[in-house]
Amino acid sequence: MKLNLYEDKNNTSEHVDVYYANMRPVIRQIIDTVNSERPSLQGRPADEDLDDGEEILLDPREIYYLDHIDRKLFAYTKNGVFRLMNTLAACEDMLWNYGFVRVSKSNLINIYKIKQLKPDLNMKVYASFDNGERICINRSYKKSFNEYLQRMRRMS
Amino acid sequence: MAEKIKAYLLELCCVYTIMSVLGAIVNIIAGTETNNINVLVMFATCAIATFVLFLHRLFDSVSPLVMIVVQYLVACALVGLLLWLVSVFISPITPRGWFEFYRSFTIPYIFLAGFYYFRVFSEAKKQNKLIQEIQEKHDAR
Repeated sequence: MKLNLYEDKNNTSEHVDVYYANMRPVIRQIIDTVNSERPSLQGRPADEDLDDGEEILLDPREIYYLDHIDRKLFAYTKNGVFRLMNTLAACEDMLWNYGFVRVSKSNLINIYKIKQLKPDLNMKVYASFDNGERICINRSYKKSFNEYLQRMRRMS
Repeated sequence: MAEKIKAYLLELCCVYTIMSVLGAIVNIIAGTETNNINVLVMFATCAIATFVLFLHRLFDSVSPLVMIVVQYLVACALVGLLLWLVSVFISPITPRGWFEFYRSFTIPYIFLAGFYYFRVFSEAKKQNKLIQEIQEKHDAR
């Protein structure tokens, strides 16, 4: 897809024109992004082959957490698990402003979906979600997690 | 590895400086004096304590409770080695001396471990409040 960008410092009415042949997921994604000013992620149900299955656009608000396992990235939502083709680092860059924070080498969690933080008897701290799952907050990410919460509080 | 050794030595320098100054203050207040052997034993103890605390960063995947126990066992082994070296090369140590030395690092260790345990829970409580506040503000928008 050809992309034209025009920078005009004096422009007072920023706008986006989309020329398309078919309403493909990527076009829908662009529309959703412009409308919601929020990025969306493309994923496929995790239990289907990559070539099969319908590609689904995921709203970050629906994602509990992202998990990187065996060089594959999965998004966990209320409606199921979806495989994403992005990298965890790319998602971290894209979603840091939308409540997603890294809590271990392989996990990015959505703070808006956290039900409770609960320390275990062995002093590991877990973030529990509405779906009953929990993710461990690695102690080397504890400081950055805390800083992120402070920053999000200031921003909100 | 070289960076880790450098960081370890830097921390050791800071810890030993603080301990020496505190020791000097205590000596001035109590009117006591130290000797060369005590200074060397204090340095060795600082080296052991810094090394044991340094282990904390190396085993990130292990739970903190297991780490505390492992650190204590490593500290016990290194202190045992230190006392054995002192008793062989400098002067014999009585069983009472061994007991006193182990007690003098076990009590603060248990105290600090308890404090760490308390901090984990109190921090989680604070973060829970913070998350709740962020979520409420987010939902209100």
